[in-house]
Amino acid sequence: MRTLRDAALLTRKDLVSLRRAPLVLILLACYPLLIAGLVGTVAGYANSRPRVAIVDLDQIPPKVEVAGHTYDLKDMIDEVAKNVRISWLTKAQAAQALRTGEVVGVITIPDGFINQLKSVASSPEVQFETSQGGISSRVTQQMQALIYNLNRKLQEAYLEDAIGYISVIRNGGTADFLGSDYKVLGINKARSLLAADKKNPDAAKVVRFLDTAEGALRATEVSAHAVAQPIKLATATRNGRGWLLSAQMQAYALALTISILALALGAAVTASERDENVACLLGRGLVSRVSLLAAKVALATIISLAVGTVILLAFGVIVEVGDIAGGQPWQRIPLVLLGVVLFGAALGAIGTLIGALAREGRSATLGALLVALPIVLLGLIPREIAPPAGYVSDIFPFSHGERFFSSALYDRHPWATIGPEALWLLGLLVLWAAVARLAQPRLTEA
Amino acid sequence: MAETLLAASTISRRFGRVIALEPIDLELRSGEAVALVGPNGAGKSTLMAILAGALKASGGRLSVTGSAKVGWLPQRPAHYGRLTALENLVLFARLEQMKGPEHEAEQMLERFSLPSDRLSAYLSIGNRQRLSLAIALLGNPNVLLLDEPTASLDPKQRALLWREAQRHIEDGGAVLFSSQNIEEVERHATRVIALDSGRLVFGGSPEEYTVWEREP
Repeated sequence: MRTLRDAALLTRKDLVSLRRAPLVLILLACYPLLIAGLVGTVAGYANSRPRVAIVDLDQIPPKVEVAGHTYDLKDMIDEVAKNVRISWLTKAQAAQALRTGEVVGVITIPDGFINQLKSVASSPEVQFETSQGGISSRVTQQMQALIYNLNRKLQEAYLEDAIGYISVIRNGGTADFLGSDYKVLGINKARSLLAADKKNPDAAKVVRFLDTAEGALRATEVSAHAVAQPIKLATATRNGRGWLLSAQMQAYALALTISILALALGAAVTASERDENVACLLGRGLVSRVSLLAAKVALATIISLAVGTVILLAFGVIVEVGDIAGGQPWQRIPLVLLGVVLFGAALGAIGTLIGALAREGRSATLGALLVALPIVLLGLIPREIAPPAGYVSDIFPFSHGERFFSSALYDRHPWATIGPEALWLLGLLVLWAAVARLAQPRLTEA
Repeated sequence: MAETLLAASTISRRFGRVIALEPIDLELRSGEAVALVGPNGAGKSTLMAILAGALKASGGRLSVTGSAKVGWLPQRPAHYGRLTALENLVLFARLEQMKGPEHEAEQMLERFSLPSDRLSAYLSIGNRQRLSLAIALLGNPNVLLLDEPTASLDPKQRALLWREAQRHIEDGGAVLFSSQNIEEVERHATRVIALDSGRLVFGGSPEEYTVWEREP
């Protein structure tokens, strides 16, 4: 009971001290927001199109005729390459660009590509080389998408051509095949001619066969239209949330701001006890070390809660005023704030540890910032790209907090995510508070 | 014979491989003012901090008699700069679990003539030292440990501080103070202990110390 009472007295004292240093409080709140904005911008750029080089060894002409259609292949490539930026380079330039990281991949169109494409005898190949960087898998996927889009365009042309042949066989006319023109009678006309020939006893059998063949070809024509695009994707752009207002951005803004704020605050107020020469007075039995630790964690939690509420309200107001689709999920805000409490407390415990280890306040604040940035950046690396970064990140609160906030804000059934993440944050609070408690003698001993 | 309020038996302190304080025996009895003297780095502040319970001894035993309490004035002022003197006193009175903390704090404020409405960070060094002494006296300690209490005070403030120390002794308490000022030691101490490089090199009356100190 006394432990809690003493912790409350010290927390109140710290809040009064903070109120009397509004500049510090404003800086503490604005600096993380600025960092959040910058990281958000960088993360936005991470979604921008990577640069890919194309080496044209076949000297593709401006117009290429394939299956009776004339294509501008270069234009087609530019058109379908929506997710990458294409640079047409020589082989040597491309190799150099890949080495220096100027491009993340190189597509090589081999010599004889167009002839092979026209012959339809076998599928021509393009080679794709990529660097071993973290985004190589993403770029490979985008290259697969590019080839898929090109194939689809060509496939449509081939099928249109095939459907044309079927139509000629059914109805007659002139067909161009491998560069030569052929005049075709057509099943329908052949059937009419045979039907008129009453003297031939087998004509009726041939007419029945032609009926069957014509029906089969008609069905083939219909199927060919369907095979060209078995599933169509209708894409429409609506007035949805942009990156800046996305759930992920809100979660990042919260997690990043509170990470820096709670760490720096926990470290600074802990070290300030030493700076003011009071830590040794408290540590001689006046206040238990648990009380002192609890007071600093409580302060970091209270300020995190206040700043977290302001951030959520600010996003909410922007979303509502801007009439953004979906609106701000106001009913979920208490759930998010529950996460903020656990998150701020766990980070406050780490901050208290830094404050106890540092020699004085300035070192503590600098130390907190030096620790905060790697924690945040580790948490931003997708686990699929670098699993070890994910494991290291697990022992810090950032990624758990970010997942908690994101899920609490927008998942339809958030408990499956926020339940385990809340347990993680609670566990990390206990872990880091225990470590900070071990470091307390360094703070309180004269 | 005066009651022993605090007794230290062979207490010592090491910082890694450095010996800051060799084993020392010390007793503080009711009604006495003991001066702790010695050059810088002699181990005076280390001994004070151990006696105050702010630093763990590497060896030895420290015992505080019965209900005796220890008040400590560290060498550097110790209070919260962004609280006023009154707020500091109220906070520490509450942490000391005193009854009527606001009343106790106001009495201390008046006793030490401290301004109530200014943040402690903006007080003069003398006022800050007096505030630290007022905090040390909260909870009515029997033993008062003063680490170079007058180093940064003007003569008027020194007189005020010694008046408070004298009052404490007359009330049956004991004072252990460290000082570099021989005149102060001769005037206020009833006993002198001298340290050098962490070792006890002298123990006796102020008169004996004066003679000892003049010896080559």
